[in-house]
Amino acid sequence: MSLSRSTSPIPGGGWATPGLDITGGRSSPTRALSGTPAMWQQSSRLGRNHGGGGYGGGSNHNNRYPSFSTRTQGFFGRHMRRLSNSLPRFNSSPYYADKEKLGRERWSAQNATLPGRIRSILGRMGRKMKTRLLFLLILLSLLVFFNSPGTAFVYWWRRSSWFGGGEKFVIVIGANVGGGVMDWKGGKEWAIERHSLRNKKQYARRWGYDLEIVDMKTKKRYAHEWREGWEKADFMRQALKKYPEAEWFWWLDLTTYIMEPSYSLQRHIFSDLTKHVYRDINEFNPLNISHPFTDPYLDAESRSPVGDGRPESINLLLSQDCSGFNLGSFFFRRSEWTDRLLDIWWDPVAYEQRHMEWPHKEQDALEELYTSHPWIRKHTAFLPQRMINSFPEGACAKEDGARDERFHYDKKDRDFVVNMAGCEFGRDCWAELSGFKDLSYYLNRSWWERFKEDVVAVAWKKVAGRKVKL
Amino acid sequence: MHFALPPRKTSQPPPYLRPAARLPGFRRTRAKLVALTGLFLFTILYLIAHLRSSSSSSSHAVPAPPPARTRNGPGGGRGDPPVVIVTVLDETKYTKEYLEAVRENRVQYAEKHGYTTLFATPGDYDLNNAPASWTLVPAIRDALTRYPNCAYVWHLDAAGFIMNPRLKLDEDIMRPAQLDKLMRRDVPVVPPEGVIKTLAHLRVEDVELVLTQDGREGLSAGSFVLRNGEWAKFFLETWFGPLYRSYNFQKAEVHALEHIIQWHSTILSRIALVDQHVLNAYNKGAGGQEYKDGDLVVRFPDCSGKACETETQAFVQAWRRAFDAA
Repeated sequence: MSLSRSTSPIPGGGWATPGLDITGGRSSPTRALSGTPAMWQQSSRLGRNHGGGGYGGGSNHNNRYPSFSTRTQGFFGRHMRRLSNSLPRFNSSPYYADKEKLGRERWSAQNATLPGRIRSILGRMGRKMKTRLLFLLILLSLLVFFNSPGTAFVYWWRRSSWFGGGEKFVIVIGANVGGGVMDWKGGKEWAIERHSLRNKKQYARRWGYDLEIVDMKTKKRYAHEWREGWEKADFMRQALKKYPEAEWFWWLDLTTYIMEPSYSLQRHIFSDLTKHVYRDINEFNPLNISHPFTDPYLDAESRSPVGDGRPESINLLLSQDCSGFNLGSFFFRRSEWTDRLLDIWWDPVAYEQRHMEWPHKEQDALEELYTSHPWIRKHTAFLPQRMINSFPEGACAKEDGARDERFHYDKKDRDFVVNMAGCEFGRDCWAELSGFKDLSYYLNRSWWERFKEDVVAVAWKKVAGRKVKL
Repeated sequence: MHFALPPRKTSQPPPYLRPAARLPGFRRTRAKLVALTGLFLFTILYLIAHLRSSSSSSSHAVPAPPPARTRNGPGGGRGDPPVVIVTVLDETKYTKEYLEAVRENRVQYAEKHGYTTLFATPGDYDLNNAPASWTLVPAIRDALTRYPNCAYVWHLDAAGFIMNPRLKLDEDIMRPAQLDKLMRRDVPVVPPEGVIKTLAHLRVEDVELVLTQDGREGLSAGSFVLRNGEWAKFFLETWFGPLYRSYNFQKAEVHALEHIIQWHSTILSRIALVDQHVLNAYNKGAGGQEYKDGDLVVRFPDCSGKACETETQAFVQAWRRAFDAA
C-alpha cells in the first residue's frame, strides 16, 4: 500500500490515530449504528473506560502504545481489522445517530449498501479493468448457458418454436409394462425402469422436448387375446391429444437407452429427412414385400415406389430389423393420416382371422396394412435401423455370433439409441441396460470426468496400488 | 499507480489541436455506447448461431403441419368433370338389352350436365378370389385415378335408373347448403337399433360420403356419392382390404362397409345419411322408401336376369320420355 496517502481513511476502517484506544488494532466500532462516526464512538468508549474502569476487562492494556506498534502483533492482531470488518453488524443502539456528524461518515463503508459498495469499487476501477471484467462476465455467462444443459434458459430457448423447436417433439415411453401382473416385478425390473426413464427425462430436458410416460400395465380392456398389445395405438392417440403443439412423436419402449444424449432429434434426423430416410422398401426388404403397387386402378402416386417423394408427406418413420418392422423406436407425425392409421390399425375382423399368426400383434398388423393398403405405403418411410434403434448383439443374432453392420450397435459409430429388443426372452435385460448405461457415460464423459478417471485415478492406482472411484 | 510527485511534463508541449471530427458528434461516450451495442448484438447473434447449430432444427427445417382439414388431395376436387358416374355392368346377372338401357341412361344424364361415366365389368380388376360384387370398390378407385380433378364420384349400380334429368347431383344434392338440409344426424347406422349413430353435430363441410340405408338390410351400397380427395382413397383402400374380402361377410362388400363405418371413427365422422328419395328410392315392394315422381333415382334391388327387363319396362319408358322432354 502506498504511503503517499497516509492521511486517507482506509476503506472500511476508522482513523488510525495514534494514542487512542486501539484494542488489538481494531478501529471499527463494534456496536455502532450505521450513522455513528467511528471516531466519536472510540473517544466515548475511551472516556468510559477511563471513568468507569470496569469496561471491557483487560482489553485496554496497551492503550498507551502508538498504533503502528501493533504491526508486530500476531496473526489475529494484524488481521483483526479485516476480519472484524467482514463480520455482520447489528444495530442495537439507534440513539448513537448524531445528526451533526452525519456528513463525516460519507467515506465510511460500514453504512454502504451492496449496490453502493459495488458502485464505489467500480468508481475506483480503471476503464480498461472494467472492459476486461465485462468481457469476463460475458464469457462466464456464455459458459454457463451452453455448458449446463438443463438450465432454464437453454431449456426454454431450445423449446421455443422460434429457436430450437423442441416443443414440436414429444417422447412417448411405455413404462410399467405388464404392471407386475404377468410377472413378478423384482429389483431388476424396478432398476431398469428407473434408469431407462431417467435417461429419457434427461434427454427430453436437455433438448426441450416433452416426455410422456404412459403406464402400460395390463388392463382388462386389452386382456382379450385379440387386443393384447393394443395400448400402443391408444396411448399414441392420447399423446396426440395431450400435446396439441407438438408435431413429431417418438415412441420408445422401456428397454431402450439413448446412448448419445448430445444428438438432438432435429439435427440427427429431422433437419434433413430426405438424406436419412428411404421410402422404397426394396432398399432393405426382409419381409419381401412386393413394392411398389402395380394395380392399374391406382394413381401414379400410389404406384410410385417413393410416394410423392417430398419429406413433408412422411407421417410414419420407423426402422426394420432382421425380421421386419420394428416398433420399439419409431416416429409418427400429427396428421389426419396418423389419425386414420391409429383408427384402422386395430380391427376385429382382421384380428379374428389373424391373431394366431401374429405373435407381434400391432407390429404384424402394421406390416399387413403396409402390404395391402396403398394409402399407408405412400406416407411411410424408413430409417436405417442403427439411426434410431440399434440392437445389442443378442438380438438378431447370427448363428456364428458375428456382428451385423446393419443391426448391431457399434460404439465406434456412436449410435444414437440402443434397443434391447427381446431381452425379456432368455436374456438379461438389466445386465444389458446397465452395460449400455455405463458405456454411454464413458463415451460422453466431460473433460473433468476424463481427467479424474484417466489421469488422477490411474495415478492413484499406481501410487496406492488399488483402484479408486472418484 | 500513484506517485508522490506527478511525472515530469515534456518541455515541448504539443500544439493544441482539436481532434479531427470524422463523424460529427462521435465522441468518446458515443463510441462507448456504440461499442456496447455492438457487443450486445454480437452476443445475441452468437447465441442464436450457437444454439441453432447445436439444436439445429429451427422452424423451417421442421415443416409446419398441414392444415387440419385437407379437403382434397393434390389436384382433387376442382370439379373437372364435376361428377363421374360409376356403374358395374355384370353380364352374368343381367341381360344385354337391359345393360344397354342402363348404359344409355347414365350416358344421357352425364352428357346433359357435363358429367362423365365409367363402366366396369367384373373381370376388370383383380379381386383375389373375392365375390364379384366387390368390383365396385376398385372401379370407384379407378374413377379417382382416371379423373383426378373430379369433384364427386357417384356409384349407381346396374339395378337402377336415373329418372329425373333436371336434378343436378353436384348442385341439387351435394351443394353444402342443400346437403345440410338433407342429411340425417344422430340416427343409427344400422337400423333399427344399431348402437352406432351418425354424428349429432356433423358439419356439412366434413362430409365426404353420402349414402342411404333401406328398410331391410341396413346400409345400401347401390347408390352413394363420394367426394374426391385423400379421404376417399383412404376409405376405398381400407374398404377393399384383403382381410375384409377374405372374411365371410354374409353380404360381402355391403357388410364390410357397415363394419368399417361402425368400427372406425375416422370413417363414421365423415359420412352423411340421407333419405332414400334423394339418391336411392326403391320400386314398389322392394322394402324401402318407394319411388315417387320427381325422385332422382329408382332402384330394383332384387331383380336379376330376364325378369329384370320386364319389371323395369315402365321405368325405362318413363325416363326416356323425361329425358326427351328435358
